[in-house]
Amino acid sequence: MNILKTPLRKSILTALAALVLPFGVQAAADNAKDMHQLFEDNCASCHGSDHGGFLAPALNSETLKGRSPTALRSLIMTGSFDTLMPPFYGRLTDDQIRGLVSHLQTTPKLANPSWTIDDIKKSIKVYVSDESTLPDKPTYAIDSMDDVIGVAARGKYGRGSGSKAVFINSTTHKQIGEIPTGTAAHIIDYNPANPRWAYIKTDTAEIFKVDLYSMQAVRSVKTGYNGPGLGVSRDGKYIMAGSFVPHNAVILDADTLEPLKTFELEGIDPDGKMVSSDSGMVIGTPFDDIFAIALENAGQVWVVDLKEGFPVTKITDVGRHLHDAFLSHGGRKLMIASYDDSIVAAIDLKERKIIKKLEAGCVPHVGGGSAVEVDGRTLGFGTNFGDCDKTVVSVWDLDKMEVVKQIPVAGGTESPAAHANAPYVAVDIISKDRRARTVQLIDKKSLEVVKTLDVGGHAYFPEYSADGKFLYVSAGYSGDEVVVYDSTSLQKVASVSMESPAGIFSHGRVRYMTRGLSPDEATAPANAPRLRPVGEMKGAK
Amino acid sequence: MKLTLVTASLLLGLASTSSVNAASIYAGQAKAAAVCSQCHGIKNPSAEAPFPPLAGRDADYLKTALKQYRDKTRQSDIMNAIAGSLSDDDISNVATYYARLKP
Repeated sequence: MNILKTPLRKSILTALAALVLPFGVQAAADNAKDMHQLFEDNCASCHGSDHGGFLAPALNSETLKGRSPTALRSLIMTGSFDTLMPPFYGRLTDDQIRGLVSHLQTTPKLANPSWTIDDIKKSIKVYVSDESTLPDKPTYAIDSMDDVIGVAARGKYGRGSGSKAVFINSTTHKQIGEIPTGTAAHIIDYNPANPRWAYIKTDTAEIFKVDLYSMQAVRSVKTGYNGPGLGVSRDGKYIMAGSFVPHNAVILDADTLEPLKTFELEGIDPDGKMVSSDSGMVIGTPFDDIFAIALENAGQVWVVDLKEGFPVTKITDVGRHLHDAFLSHGGRKLMIASYDDSIVAAIDLKERKIIKKLEAGCVPHVGGGSAVEVDGRTLGFGTNFGDCDKTVVSVWDLDKMEVVKQIPVAGGTESPAAHANAPYVAVDIISKDRRARTVQLIDKKSLEVVKTLDVGGHAYFPEYSADGKFLYVSAGYSGDEVVVYDSTSLQKVASVSMESPAGIFSHGRVRYMTRGLSPDEATAPANAPRLRPVGEMKGAK
Repeated sequence: MKLTLVTASLLLGLASTSSVNAASIYAGQAKAAAVCSQCHGIKNPSAEAPFPPLAGRDADYLKTALKQYRDKTRQSDIMNAIAGSLSDDDISNVATYYARLKP
């Protein structure tokens, strides 16, 4: 067929095809193309560009087999309460919705689409070409850049004007800036070497390099189709991004966002099968010039050395369906959650091997994780969001690597927040009923739930301000605000409005590495006494 | 001062009436969260949404509109279906809740 069709000729052809062959090949192909575009523009940022699912369920001929088209149509029209799914009534026509339903029910999950290093290179956008013109200090009043707290606002539709990163001064609770991100912001990471730079990654795998002093994006790059994985190296020179779609990862120059090396994520899973894999967490550590990246489906953690050629050490058989992780012991120990066997694996990043696998409740999702020092022990806190009979938060002794307690909580949880100066570890209850409005507080010493806060909306992703005085919580979708509490009295002190806020990221994280540890954790010298040989038994410090 | 007055009269309103039709902003908020907020937002609809904002609208207007949607004298596929599930109390409560919000 003629490739250079004008719109007119195209429509005539379509009309002819429709007349002559109502179910003709050409009409079907055009329709499928239009429907795929509609899917990309409205659905793919959550459901995955390959129809394989991402934050939201996979939508393809296999997963939707036998579902009533009428029920799917009304679900798209009204959205789904208690989830991020918005109502598309009034945004899409009824014909478009019907077309999408039939398209989704006949389209198989797509093969891993390609997004090459050249695609990444070409996607770089420069908003400020001469960075020397940027101000040399913040253009707003703030005592310390540690006090900056960033909120990933998704926007009701996961895209559009509500999608942005909102930055707040966590001592005054006033907004100090916002960066529009086009699609839902997911992760905000800060440059450990220079407090002015932040990196925002969206669900559509775009990374924005942000100047926090002038509160503007200076560059952006698209690293894939979907996937939030993002880490910054301890020297602030590199960032690494991992994707769900396609199955790859890339190391970028943190300054220019130029891609330096891409990695195909594949390997032999714990059951002996060679698989292509999504990227889970990507993390830099104050311990060494490395990145660690989780290969979700392959159950492997790769350690990438930041030197010539970026060589990879592969740690295999870590777990089935790995996801997120947190650091301990100066960044030498990595605690990584494995969904399908409900363990958290402790990895020694020096020896590059598994220390131990610890029980972790039911489908552990550690969020950013938390670690606190209590009575001479370093205790790690892990949330888990499975729908099990027993819903607990796991507490591990990170020195001895053993389970200390599994604390009963009201439901599934997604992210624990702690701070060296705050008395409670906050966990978000995400079970899909009224409990989702709440956050529970665990006393660090007694390891019991002592208080439940009714935040409203779908409350999740608690985070302490860098000084530990305030607890920030996203009231999330159907709440549309971030609520701020006094960390000790637990009285509500402020609220900041935004559309569908999710993850909250304190700039203080670059100092304490993992939430709950001392503010000097990330800057402690590598030979500090607290870096004990792995495996050494230690009762008290 | 004005706010105090409003709060006081609201509290008085709540305390002084035992009528089943007394509007409860708390019940209204719960109903709004469960029924209206998906499209209209718990405070405001999404900037990207084609749905009208309700915050600060006149309570009587909202009540009348909801009742018209309920008895289908005002036509809208989606609102006829949704308002059909609301009782007089529900309507009074959500109208009072949204009317009281600052736009």
